[in-house]
Amino acid sequence: MNGAVTLLRHSLKRVRTLVLVMGTLLSVFQVVLILVAGSIQRSSGFDQLGSLIPDFMRNLMGPSFIGLMSFSGIVCVGYFHIAVMGSLVGLTIALGTEPASEIETQFMDLILSRPLARHWVITRSVALLLLCTAFVLLMMMLGTWTGLHFLAPSGAEWPTGELIRSLALNLAVLMVCWGGIALAAASRARRRSVAGSVVGLLALATFLLDYVARAWQPAESIAWLSPFRYYAPLDLVMGKQIPAHNLWVLAGVAACGFGISYFLFSRRDI
Amino acid sequence: MTAVKDLKLEVKQGEVFGFLGLNGAGKTTTIRILLDLLRPSAGRASIMGRDCQSQGLEVRSSVGYLPGEMGLYRDMTGRELLDFLGRLGTRPVIESYREQLVKRLELSAAELKRKLREYSTGMKRKLGLIQAFQGDPPLLILDEPTEGLDPLMQESFYELLSEAKARGRTVFMSSHVLSEVGRVCDRIGLLRKGELVLLSSVEDVRALAPRRLRVWFDRDVNGPGDFPAKYEIVEIQPRLWSLRVHGPLGWLTEHLSGLPVLDIEIDEPRLEDVLTRYYREESQ
Repeated sequence: MNGAVTLLRHSLKRVRTLVLVMGTLLSVFQVVLILVAGSIQRSSGFDQLGSLIPDFMRNLMGPSFIGLMSFSGIVCVGYFHIAVMGSLVGLTIALGTEPASEIETQFMDLILSRPLARHWVITRSVALLLLCTAFVLLMMMLGTWTGLHFLAPSGAEWPTGELIRSLALNLAVLMVCWGGIALAAASRARRRSVAGSVVGLLALATFLLDYVARAWQPAESIAWLSPFRYYAPLDLVMGKQIPAHNLWVLAGVAACGFGISYFLFSRRDI
Repeated sequence: MTAVKDLKLEVKQGEVFGFLGLNGAGKTTTIRILLDLLRPSAGRASIMGRDCQSQGLEVRSSVGYLPGEMGLYRDMTGRELLDFLGRLGTRPVIESYREQLVKRLELSAAELKRKLREYSTGMKRKLGLIQAFQGDPPLLILDEPTEGLDPLMQESFYELLSEAKARGRTVFMSSHVLSEVGRVCDRIGLLRKGELVLLSSVEDVRALAPRRLRVWFDRDVNGPGDFPAKYEIVEIQPRLWSLRVHGPLGWLTEHLSGLPVLDIEIDEPRLEDVLTRYYREESQ
């Protein structure tokens, strides 16, 4: 146990700059979004934007799109903007593939030549993923809270605390899900680049699958395979409750990924 | 492909065992099996009566390991690496012993504060030796320990090794440097294409080696007609005979008694002469 804590502290020290920078950037992004939303709000731009959207567009995009044309909607965009999601999934893939990197650099030889059970290496990575995910999302929420309290125009309708928490929770579970997949790949691979590329491409493919399936019916039949299908931020913005089913599916994939990692790593040659 | 085959080997407690072989012979594979980094497809390895796989934790708590290639994070300092690896072990690092190692391998406190990216190959090797020795473990497994060390540091390492042996520690080391093996090891095992082809004490191997002998004469002499079978002629000149002799010199001393001998030079039997023969057989 002592060795595992040492290992976790070492990993946290190694990734601290990356995680701190990412947390800060995403937090600042939240503040910037609030500034933009405040600016539109002060110029009554949301009403004008709403009236500019033709009826056929409203029908095509659905009510959730219209929901975004508000101060509250713009503030929430930070939790499902493609750049944000891409960076967060990228971060979890980087964190999850650490064991492959340690094998590739032969640092793992030094670690495992000590009296340290192999499962602690995976437990370290799981703990690292959970801690870093929690930290980055707390930073985003802190950015949202700070921006709303100090920069939001008076009279603007804030997103509720529950909505922000639900978005952050759903996003966190999505990140952990990809972390589990990355860790499973890293437990088999000898090179971080291989594990990272495979999982990165898989993330891109499943993101596109989910995106395409929303407009193209034939893709709908296999869209359930995409983890992104289980993150429905627009539904949350429109006031729906976070579906427990989505969280269970994502958490289940993550748990399977972690389980496979323990299994593969305990049996592999280093 | 089979990396190591039919390897039966026992190392006695308190001895320095040299594990030899050409590149790819299976030395590092064997070491990695001992540390449970590789899982053998058949057979078992044990250290101090404990199975290296099923009781790996107990085994590794008694081992100090120096890998052939040190995988290091370049942004760590030397001190951070030693502290990190020290904390991963169950044997407490004796600070005074570690400082003694640092001093003897000539790594200064300032150098230990430097990032590993600034370390030379030799400095990394010294750091590797310190991390292996720092817990004063009962067994040291060293893969090519003097690779990259300068001659002075090699001397320091040999001293550390002999002190560890005097304390009853066991050393299992692979090496390519045959003179080093002859100097520090009690016994050797030689691997060829994954199979053990020689297992013997260093003294016994030396006894197999021919002695090099040169005889100078102060005037021209005729060479003897026939040398006995144990005499191998390297060079015969009117005033110099250069020979390799297996076994006692009896015949020669009798033969030389009537000749004008100016000087005789006899080299000690060299381990290399026997081992290189095995190596040559492998390369053929």
